[in-house]
Amino acid sequence: MKKFLSTMISAAVLVGAAGTSTIVSAADEVNVVMFGMPYTKGLAALADDFEAQTGIKANIDVIGQDVFENRITLSFTGKSGDIDVVHTPVIQVQRWVSANWLKPITAEVDAMAVKSDIMEGPMDAYKIKGEQWAVPYMAATGLMTYRKDILEEAGVEVPQTWEDMLAVAAKIHNDDTAAIAMRAVPGQGFNMFIFPMVMRAYGGKFFEDYTAGDLTPAINSPETLEALNVYMKLLNEYGPQGAGNFNFAEVQAAAQNGQIAFAVEGTGIAASLVDPEKSQFADKTGITLPPGGPAGRSPAIAVHGLGIPASAKNPELSAKFIEWAVSSETMTKIALAQPFSNFTTQSVAKNADVIAKYSKIHPDFLAVQAEALNLAIGHYRPLLPEWPALGQAIGENINAALNGLMSPEDALEAAEQEMKDILGQ
Amino acid sequence: MMSVLVFFAALPTVWVLIMSFREQSVIFEPFWESPLAVTFDNYLGITRSEFPRALLNSFICAGASTLLAMIVGVPAGFALAKSRLSGKFYASWTLLLLRMAPPVGFVIPLFLLYVNAGLIDSYFGLITAYMTLTLPLIVWSMWNSFAQVPDELVEAAIMDGASLGKAFLLVALPAARPGAVAAAILGFLIVWNDFFYALIITRSTTVTAPVAVMNFISYDSVDWGSIAVASIALTLPILPLMVMANRYIVQSLSGAVKG
Amino acid sequence: MTAKSTKQVSATADLERGYRNMVLPAVLAVGIFAIVPLAGMLALSVSDYHLLRGTNWEFGFKNFVRLVSDKRLMGSVYAMAVLSFFGVTAQVLIGAAIAVGLSKIVGRWRLGRVLFLLPYAVPHVAVALIWLSLFTPTLSPINAFFDLFGVTVPSFLTTQNGALFAIVLADTWTNFPFAMLIILAALQGISPDLEEAAALDGATRIQTFFYVTLPLLIPAFLLVTLFRFIDSLKHFPMIFVMTKGGPGRSTQATNYYGYIQTFQNSNVAYGAAIAVTLFIVAAIISFYVAKLNQRVTS
Repeated sequence: MKKFLSTMISAAVLVGAAGTSTIVSAADEVNVVMFGMPYTKGLAALADDFEAQTGIKANIDVIGQDVFENRITLSFTGKSGDIDVVHTPVIQVQRWVSANWLKPITAEVDAMAVKSDIMEGPMDAYKIKGEQWAVPYMAATGLMTYRKDILEEAGVEVPQTWEDMLAVAAKIHNDDTAAIAMRAVPGQGFNMFIFPMVMRAYGGKFFEDYTAGDLTPAINSPETLEALNVYMKLLNEYGPQGAGNFNFAEVQAAAQNGQIAFAVEGTGIAASLVDPEKSQFADKTGITLPPGGPAGRSPAIAVHGLGIPASAKNPELSAKFIEWAVSSETMTKIALAQPFSNFTTQSVAKNADVIAKYSKIHPDFLAVQAEALNLAIGHYRPLLPEWPALGQAIGENINAALNGLMSPEDALEAAEQEMKDILGQ
Repeated sequence: MMSVLVFFAALPTVWVLIMSFREQSVIFEPFWESPLAVTFDNYLGITRSEFPRALLNSFICAGASTLLAMIVGVPAGFALAKSRLSGKFYASWTLLLLRMAPPVGFVIPLFLLYVNAGLIDSYFGLITAYMTLTLPLIVWSMWNSFAQVPDELVEAAIMDGASLGKAFLLVALPAARPGAVAAAILGFLIVWNDFFYALIITRSTTVTAPVAVMNFISYDSVDWGSIAVASIALTLPILPLMVMANRYIVQSLSGAVKG
Repeated sequence: MTAKSTKQVSATADLERGYRNMVLPAVLAVGIFAIVPLAGMLALSVSDYHLLRGTNWEFGFKNFVRLVSDKRLMGSVYAMAVLSFFGVTAQVLIGAAIAVGLSKIVGRWRLGRVLFLLPYAVPHVAVALIWLSLFTPTLSPINAFFDLFGVTVPSFLTTQNGALFAIVLADTWTNFPFAMLIILAALQGISPDLEEAAALDGATRIQTFFYVTLPLLIPAFLLVTLFRFIDSLKHFPMIFVMTKGGPGRSTQATNYYGYIQTFQNSNVAYGAAIAVTLFIVAAIISFYVAKLNQRVTS
């Protein structure tokens, strides 16, 4: 029986490991798979530049994020070798490295001239076990937009802490314009992109001591409970109707419709809300750092980069492509062609056209973004292979509390227990 | 009663039409507040994207796999309805089995099968995969349709010396025409909006429309206008097909089947 | 006499062989593509394959033992049962009502039936987004319309029953045409003579419908129920786009839970075990529906 089953599983499931796969790119082509965002769309539009410079044809496939996650999981477990360069979010890199899906590229990166031009923090986020696994191209942070006219009318200042926010929200909230909207749907990239900003401001944390390596879950602390109560109060009492099921798209639409005064979001959405071409309230909207609290201010951060799959057939070409893709020249072109301001290649920020473009969208924009990046901690969401599972479990419990399915105390207790289960403690 | 149902069926359609003509910045503002913020940009944007190609791929795959599944499945439905084969029930039930397994369970094995057969991103691979979706439906619904054709009709034809094939083609099939047309339409539509097989088997060359729609949902934005246009683009090619098919279904009203 | 009966027997045998040759290609075509993935799924479900930890080549029923005591599985089964039961029922009833309504329409309005098929051609991801916007108070034209009169439409997606209702509605909108088309085709396969005969015997139109037409439609109803039921166990895009399984976990139907285990928690083997369990449930239920169908049609 056992032998039969192992034969079955090796025949049916893991045949790919033998390297019999047939979807391989031609010798002078690189297949690049990425999911849709301004940078990746901009990069795809420049594929001809790469071919003109190197003679290598780049097939840049930009697909939906969900399609992307399914495809790469299949390609990597099947070791089908059809991807030469892969979009590598920092939130996934630990998991991929543990699953042996990526190739270490320390030597390749050291040989890149652009290396010293790339921001250190995001670069280090891809260092695991002493090796470099990907090269960052962007770092999105949490930002807050606010309606200047509404604050002025109520005679209140921009809140600096979540405590202030509660007070301001109570003053400005009304039936036509709710005070605030934030992501609420469960998921490590949804409510768990936003909630840790509140949690960390109150001194809450995921683990006893993450930096010292003590991974005992500590999500059921009084600090996190206080933060959860603030998050719930803001959304349930001062949020728009239905706020408990909002994702970024609903937050963006509510702000564009003038239905909310504050939005705490990532760089992309925040930028669209202060861009006159995208929002009719843009000229009345200001942009600033998300609020902080007794334990400081910790804007969310999401780093994205490019890596080389372990099964890639021609890593030299892949490395060549990455070097071109993060080069100052390519990045500058994309920053000018797309709404792409959160590049990690530093010299791009010195380009006069780039500065002019983003200052025109909003005078404070670049400065606020730089400050947020400066304040953000690399392990805002813990850099662990299990994070996607942990984030999902915590996010579900937080959302359950938000929508009144369980008390906040029970939700955090349940999250604590589930974290232990996932980590096998 | 009927008007409530018509409202239910039409409301989202009208909503999609409105969204498709709205400017991005006011797409969710009540349309009576800014009725003039109308644009064709969403439509123009779609024509410039890869979506038209994906639409063509969908058409090719849905058409080819439905045709193949009809050729294989209609005779099977006939045989199941008219024969006295002992294992016929189990044969037909196994046809259903693949449809029952939830995709999460078998995506990885399925992917490996296609990788090793060299069928990833090929029309042939996609069309054969789709036969597994359409065949069970066609076989089962044709079984029902042929069951309504009186046995005596077929028996009489065979008594008169017709071969089984002739009795099927010339006697039974014309009598079961409305069912056959309905089965073909449903087969086509099942493939037309399949997401799962296309997700696994297609890459950039053979990508079909339902997967291409996902490209309008990006990391930090949802392109509602384009999604609305894409939804309209997916229903428009169906219309002429349905009008044609409609004629065949309607003909039987005058009594193609006399019991 | 004997010669004739032998001839008859061999003719019947020929006939049966002919029939068998008509079924075989269909079974083979599906079988080839079905067997490998199904076998792979079964093998995975008894393995210990985990994306992060790989496999130690240990096989057994551990995953199934764990399933029995998994509280989240029970929650997911409840969500699935609600979605399947109400979704399929609504689709069959609405599909049938529209089919009956349409079959009475003659003349140029006949083409109107085509419009009822359109929702079926919209990809599920788009359907889900359309209904998400209709059910999100800040986006929905329905809420905006009622606001004009000072009426506040409640928010559906933030309560368990509301969210399940919203998903059922979206699912019904896109799938009732399936039921409608099959029932319409079946209605038109019914000879008008039968209804005329009933009318001549003095039956009212309602009596004719319930005693003559409806019984003849039972096979079509069973067929629609069977296919829609099988598909309803695979609920995914509506949940993924509309609620992400929320509020909390209350709309995480079993298939969605399997997805979370496989893709978020990397536990491929456990995800496969969930899928196998669903597969067995679907196989058993559809076996009886199919048997019933067979009895009715023959």
